[in-house]
Amino acid sequence: MAKNVFQDPEKTLYPKLPKIEDIDPKDRGMVKTKLQVFTADDPIGPKLSYNPINREDQDPWKDFREIMRIEWNMEITYRHSLGKYSKFFIELENKKFFATECPKCGFVWAIPRPVCPDCLEICKWKELPGTGTLVSFSVSEFVPGFMDVETPYVLAMVKMDGADSLFTHQLRNWGTERTKIKTGMPVKVVYTKEPVIHPMLLMWYEPA
Amino acid sequence: MSDRRVFVLGGGISKMAAERPDGNIRDWVVEAAMEAVKDAGVEIADIEHATTSYFSDHFDKQLKQGAIFHDCIGMCPKPNVRVEGGGGTGGLAIRNAYAYIKAGLCDSMIVYGSENMGRHVPSDVAQQFIALASDTDWEVQVAGFYIAYYALMMLSHMEKYGTKEEQFALASVKNHRNAMYNEYAQSPMKITVDDVMNSPLITSPYKILDNCLLSDGASCLIFATEEWAKTHSTSWYRKPRIELVGTGSGTDYMRLADRPFPYPGITHFRAKKFASEQAYKMAGIKNPAKELDCFEVHDAYSGVELVSCEDLRLCGYGQSGKLYEEGYFDIGGEIPINTSGGLIGMGHPVGATGINQGIEVLTQLREEAHPQRQVKLTNGQGGMDSHGGTGTYVAVNIFRRVD
Repeated sequence: MAKNVFQDPEKTLYPKLPKIEDIDPKDRGMVKTKLQVFTADDPIGPKLSYNPINREDQDPWKDFREIMRIEWNMEITYRHSLGKYSKFFIELENKKFFATECPKCGFVWAIPRPVCPDCLEICKWKELPGTGTLVSFSVSEFVPGFMDVETPYVLAMVKMDGADSLFTHQLRNWGTERTKIKTGMPVKVVYTKEPVIHPMLLMWYEPA
Repeated sequence: MSDRRVFVLGGGISKMAAERPDGNIRDWVVEAAMEAVKDAGVEIADIEHATTSYFSDHFDKQLKQGAIFHDCIGMCPKPNVRVEGGGGTGGLAIRNAYAYIKAGLCDSMIVYGSENMGRHVPSDVAQQFIALASDTDWEVQVAGFYIAYYALMMLSHMEKYGTKEEQFALASVKNHRNAMYNEYAQSPMKITVDDVMNSPLITSPYKILDNCLLSDGASCLIFATEEWAKTHSTSWYRKPRIELVGTGSGTDYMRLADRPFPYPGITHFRAKKFASEQAYKMAGIKNPAKELDCFEVHDAYSGVELVSCEDLRLCGYGQSGKLYEEGYFDIGGEIPINTSGGLIGMGHPVGATGINQGIEVLTQLREEAHPQRQVKLTNGQGGMDSHGGTGTYVAVNIFRRVD
């Protein structure tokens, strides 16, 4: 493949960032969190063959190129309320899948809503059978690390039986051949047997 | 509506890069503002109002960042408002300038946008911050992230219209190529469809080269009424005059899953259709592909560009794939798209992106672009489409050269 400039380390303008534990504390000087001090290049670089802003040859910021980087840690924990959606999550522990129905227009929101956005009416809870049809899916080879999911994994959009809008969750245990995953195939909600860190993970989809 | 007219006097961009530790976010805004003031031929002391455009407080661990940008460029004690709509932030900021000037709240406004997305946090943490822009209770927890949502949309487009992955790849090839003639661009590359197809798979059908970039950078635009410009801008009589003649905005349900069928379903951007129709109506445009000379489209991922072309009425539904093969959207084609390189080639520092798009249209309409990316002007009109979430917030703005 073509060289991908934003992944090519030789194209990086700046020294690779070291890990703080790899730096000898005595090399950090008086600053305990110092990562590096370096001289940065002019990011636009020497005058290019075509330059619409007629920048002078000289780097205008040359007196401001000595750069210090430090490490700065922050940890945040939330005490998060699931509010008016809570019943959905509470019932997942009872292996029940609930949606909401608008008493005025009758629309059933698979991802529940306390209030129907079309009518501004307070909705009623409605239990669904937990079966549905696969409408679209994506197979990911990559997932941001914080999500703690093994790849490849499948994100699925499902039309739940008895609902009018779709519901998003992972499709698991689809086997090894991804060509077997097809839109239109029947799927069902499966409930976990293991403890989870977020109640949304009490369920997922599997082929029905 | 008042008969005040809103003109773009100038713009400035700081270099887009994956990482710019040579300065920080406030420094890039200063760089862009210095260029914009020079381009517009105005004094910062004369500008009456500011709009701040940035997306995330998390990336730079700084809330109320607009106040810092504002005081760094000597705008205190004059008014400043922040506008935020995810990836649509910059486009909404331009629309804000239009509204404030049109309403008479000010006669001139500086709009600056920036994002610090580089290596202040590891790319994994950056992904986490971006994921926080989708519904954190319902979609993030199931390992939903933006590339995957867009992949669901593209699969649906492929099934509905027979669009091919190679056709998506053509958008990436075009945008990387256009970026080669833009010295501010982050990722100029001469690549082929095969290079895109053979690059590592992220989320089917998306490969790494189909994606936009995490960027550091800033950009800035200056708007004013004609009367203000005549007395305060030395470039008013020297440069072609560019007017902001149409603006539209639209929204859609936060979660793809909630969107109504059959349209938009999970295939299309209803907000974009809604926003563009308003903007076209204001600008008196009936056939956008014929009447516009260039368009900066929000190409967060290659497929997003194709679908956007359809919802912006630059081509019919389901036709974009075939038209990419014909070069319809290339420079020299019927309606050149993303001449700057777009988000894929130029970069995507979220708060700056919409403003980058406005600057590219300004550059094109003034015929100041690199000859290899300059489009031929027939109507002297260009458009831009700025889009947040999976089309959750959209702003479309239309500019016209008035000689």
